[in-house]
Amino acid sequence: MREFFADKNRKILAFALAAVIAVSVLGATGNPIVASGFNFLTKGLSRVSAAVTDAADEKTYEELLEENKKLTKEAADLRTQLVDYYDLKDENARLWKYYNLTKSNPDYKILPSRVIRRDSNDEFYSFTIDAGTTSGIKLRDPVLTENGLIGFVSSVTAASSRVTTILSPDLQAGAIDKKSSADGVVSGKAAVSDEGLTTLTKIDANAEIAAGDIVVTSGIGGIYPPNLIVGKVKELKIDRYDATKYAVIKPYEDIKRVTDVVVLTDFKNKGQVKPASEKETR
Amino acid sequence: MERRYTFFLYAAYSLELLLLFILQTTPLLIPELFGGKPLLMIPAVVTVSLMEEQVPALFFGLAGGALLDLGCSDNLGYYTITLTLICFLLGFIFRDYMVVSFLNAMGFTSAVTLVTVFFYFIFFILLSGRADFSYFVSHCLSRILYTIVCTVPLYFINKFLFRNLRDF
Repeated sequence: MREFFADKNRKILAFALAAVIAVSVLGATGNPIVASGFNFLTKGLSRVSAAVTDAADEKTYEELLEENKKLTKEAADLRTQLVDYYDLKDENARLWKYYNLTKSNPDYKILPSRVIRRDSNDEFYSFTIDAGTTSGIKLRDPVLTENGLIGFVSSVTAASSRVTTILSPDLQAGAIDKKSSADGVVSGKAAVSDEGLTTLTKIDANAEIAAGDIVVTSGIGGIYPPNLIVGKVKELKIDRYDATKYAVIKPYEDIKRVTDVVVLTDFKNKGQVKPASEKETR
Repeated sequence: MERRYTFFLYAAYSLELLLLFILQTTPLLIPELFGGKPLLMIPAVVTVSLMEEQVPALFFGLAGGALLDLGCSDNLGYYTITLTLICFLLGFIFRDYMVVSFLNAMGFTSAVTLVTVFFYFIFFILLSGRADFSYFVSHCLSRILYTIVCTVPLYFINKFLFRNLRDF
C-alpha cells in the first residue's frame, strides 16, 4: 500500500476518486448543497442548449405545410371518430381538454415550465425542467402538455426537476380505453420507446381494444387525474415472454422533442386512491 | 522535465468539452442513428489522454465523465469514476509504452466505448430489469459505432490543438 502511494500521480488519482465518490454519495443522499451546486454548474449550459433547440426546431414553409396537411387529416379522423362514438357533450369536453386544460378542469393548478436539459445517454428520453420545489413542484407531480400526459416528476431540486416520460418502464399509470372502457396500466417498453411510443399493459385478454382508440388516465391511483389523454392505440401485440396482450400507444405529443410543458401541482382528489369500482368511464 | 506552457491548451480542451456537452444534450443538432446519439465525451477525453501526462489526463477524464453523468442525472457516478480511471491509465501507458497514432487512438477509443457502454447497460439497464439483452443489440451497438466514428474528427482536432497550443 505504501509503495502504491509513493508515486505522486497515484496519490492524486486516489484523492480525485475519493472526492468523486464522496460527492456522489452526498448527492445520492439528497444533500441540497451538492444538488444546488450541480444545478448551478449545468444551468448556464442548459440555457444555451435550450436556446439552440428553439433555433433548430424552427420549421420551413414546406415542412409547416406538410405538417398542416397531416394535422388537418388527423383532426378530421378524430372528429369522425368522436361523432361516431361519443355524444356532443363528450366531444365538447375532449376539445376543451385539448385546448384549454384549466377551463375544463378548474381544480387543476398548473405551472408552465421549460425543458432545459436532455441527454443522449438516457434511453427513455427523460428531461429536466427549469422549475423545482421553490415553484411548488413536488415529487411525482404529473407533467403534461395540451396534447396530454407526458410523464411525472421523478426527482426535484430547489430550481429544477427531472421528468420521467411515459416512454419509460419506471412510469406506471392506471389508464382506460375510452371506447371499450377496458382498463390497464400505461408503462414504457424498451422495444418501442425509440419510436416515441408507449404501451398499455395488464389488459384483459378479452378486452375489445382496437387501433385508433383513445387511451386516457383512470385516476385510480390518485397520482394522475382522470381523463388525461395518454395517446392513441397504434396496434395490439403479444408479449413474447409471458404471452400477455398489450397495446402500443402513440402519444399525441412528440415526447422526444417537447420543449414546453406544464406541471400539474394540484388537482381534485390528488393522493386519494379510488376503488376500482369508482373508476372514471365517461 | 521540459517545462510546458499549457494554459491555452487546457483552456481549448475545456472549451471543446463544453461545446461537445451542448452538442450532445441539444436535440436535433446531431442526427440520431437507429434512435441513438454518440457519447462525444468518451472519444474527446480518450484522445486527450493519449497525448497528455497522467494528471491532466485524469482531470480531463473526470471532467468529461462528470459532464456525461450530469447530462443524464443530477449527480456524479458511473462515467465520472470509470473515465477518471481509464484516462489516468491511458496517460500512463502512452507516456512510457506506446506511441500516439491514429490507429492506436481508434483502437483504444473503440475498446473504452465498448467496455463503458456495455457495463453501463449491464448495471443500469439489464440488472435493473428495464430491458433485456436485445436492447443492447438494437440500441447500444449503434450508439457505440456512432461514437467510434466520431473519434476520427475529435482525434485530429485534439492533435491539432496539442501541436499548436502546447507551448503557446
